[in-house]
Amino acid sequence: MIALENIALRQGSFELSDLSLELTAGEYGVLMGRSGCGKTTLLEAICGLRKIECGRIILGDRNVTELPPAERGVGYVPQDRALFPTLIVREQLAFALVLRKIGQAEITRRVDEMAKLLGLTALLDRMPGKLSGGEAQRVALGRALAHEPAVLCLDEPLAALDEELHDEMCRLLERVHRETGVTILHITHSPSEAKRLAGCHFRFADGKVTRDG
Amino acid sequence: MSDPVPYGFSVASDKPFLIGLGVLGGSYLLIIAAMVLADLVFLNYSDQPVLGPEMVRQGRYTGGDVTVPVEVNRNYYFRAGKNERGLMLSDQRTITGGLFEAESGEVVLRPREPGKPITASLRPEARVLGIAVTNHVATLTTDVAHGLLWGEFIRVSDAGEPGWDGVREITDTATNQISFAVVGAAEPAAKLSLSKPNPLVQALRSRDIRFSIKLSLISCTLTTLLSLWVAVPIGYMMSRFGFRGKPLIDTLLDIPIVLPPLVVGLSLLILFRYMPEWLSDAVVYKWPAVVLAQFMVACAFAVRTMRVTFDQIPQRFEQVALTLGCNRRQAFWRVIMPQARGGLLAAGTLAWARALGEFGPILVFAGATRQKTEVLPTSAFLELQAGRTEGMLAVSLIMIAAAVVVFIIARTLGMKRIFA
Repeated sequence: MIALENIALRQGSFELSDLSLELTAGEYGVLMGRSGCGKTTLLEAICGLRKIECGRIILGDRNVTELPPAERGVGYVPQDRALFPTLIVREQLAFALVLRKIGQAEITRRVDEMAKLLGLTALLDRMPGKLSGGEAQRVALGRALAHEPAVLCLDEPLAALDEELHDEMCRLLERVHRETGVTILHITHSPSEAKRLAGCHFRFADGKVTRDG
Repeated sequence: MSDPVPYGFSVASDKPFLIGLGVLGGSYLLIIAAMVLADLVFLNYSDQPVLGPEMVRQGRYTGGDVTVPVEVNRNYYFRAGKNERGLMLSDQRTITGGLFEAESGEVVLRPREPGKPITASLRPEARVLGIAVTNHVATLTTDVAHGLLWGEFIRVSDAGEPGWDGVREITDTATNQISFAVVGAAEPAAKLSLSKPNPLVQALRSRDIRFSIKLSLISCTLTTLLSLWVAVPIGYMMSRFGFRGKPLIDTLLDIPIVLPPLVVGLSLLILFRYMPEWLSDAVVYKWPAVVLAQFMVACAFAVRTMRVTFDQIPQRFEQVALTLGCNRRQAFWRVIMPQARGGLLAAGTLAWARALGEFGPILVFAGATRQKTEVLPTSAFLELQAGRTEGMLAVSLIMIAAAVVVFIIARTLGMKRIFA
């Protein structure tokens, strides 16, 4: 689950306070709001990349408010994907696993499994510079999911994709959600995208998050 | 209402702009190329004769031609100055320069303008009169003062005995004598010819310059490594963290770039007056002073380069790495440094090149002691001071070669990164 309890954030002159949000475990949450309303800032706070002024953040069943990003058990897919330019796809997928020192055989098995789920098997030895937009998005997704986080944070994952890929990506996200059971928080500025994706919808406006049923 | 945009709207040609870019950039490139080329062309690569004293007396062309008495069957070296049309030989031939053999007792200087000063040079080629060998040291006696100095090199040829021919270091001189070691042979040669090897050979053979090449290469490499070791953390810190007093630190980091290099040397010298004695004894006027003087300036450039490098790598990479399980150290080494390799190479090359050219601070802080703190720019300076332009040029060519080699290595390493 993801629970934000009355958190306050500050970024320069931009301030958000008394934000709350609750998403039960295994749900697919879509957070919708205009560009510039602070959606990304909120995601960064959940991932531990931005300090919160007050309040609590609960991921899974742990209070992670004081934990460093590494220990929060989140997968983060930023809007620009930020694939590491010097690593091949296989290394990107294995990145989190190598840090956890789980043994080469296990890493290989899990990377192959993830590649199969996301249709990346043929691309494992490519450099990120040689990937198309949709492929890069799938690699970023795989990299974030490899260490089996309880929560996956997606920042506008479909924004840069064309219409056709858009639909394909939606189906893939739903499949990933179904097969891994991860709690997903997906943020977007597009109402149609929010409508297309199942799950519960939140609206982020005027510094408040409200649940749309 | 404003006028409608005319239908036939047209944009001015791009040609003048592009030609302007080409002309401005091209002229600079041309000057760079011409500069290096001039050095290469100016240096006399052939051996020079060993010459005796000047025979043309200073003065003016009072009544037109000036006659200079010469010895028949002797070689002379003539060089025309600004005010000579040439030298007329006995066979009515007029030469403007070079070696010639006199066939009669006099030659005639032909002025361009009578009444103006005499600017030509005429010198006899030294002839070897006597050859003696004691304890593997040959001593040659010349018929005129040869002007060679201790430590210079001489090429011996046509000796006809083993162990004589080759480039020899002069170990002792008198006005009319030079001594040098011969290899093994105790047999004195009956005759031989002497010539001065070209300045590049002289420089590369000289023990002083060999030392300064070695010291330059070692100190520059040391400086580069030290600079990178310092520049990477400072650059990263300045790029990633905001803290109180950052603008002040930013300014401090620029001081070595802004200060005249000589002042950096002086400041270091003064600083070491306040250091404990053992430390200043170990550093000042010794080789560590060379490295420290180079480091102070080169490092500032490395820091600038590394900072720009890290500024160009978005923070997003570290953020993602952090969520994947890295701490800051791991994120830095696994994600940021691999991307900063090109910048690291650029910073290293820049630091190396700066260090190689550093002169002022080294002169002040480390001195110019031969075989102790002499680096290549110091050698060039000492050669110039001794009046040997050719020697200075030879040292400059060695520096150009060193710089070119390092740039090629850096480029090749950079290429590998791109094509990998």
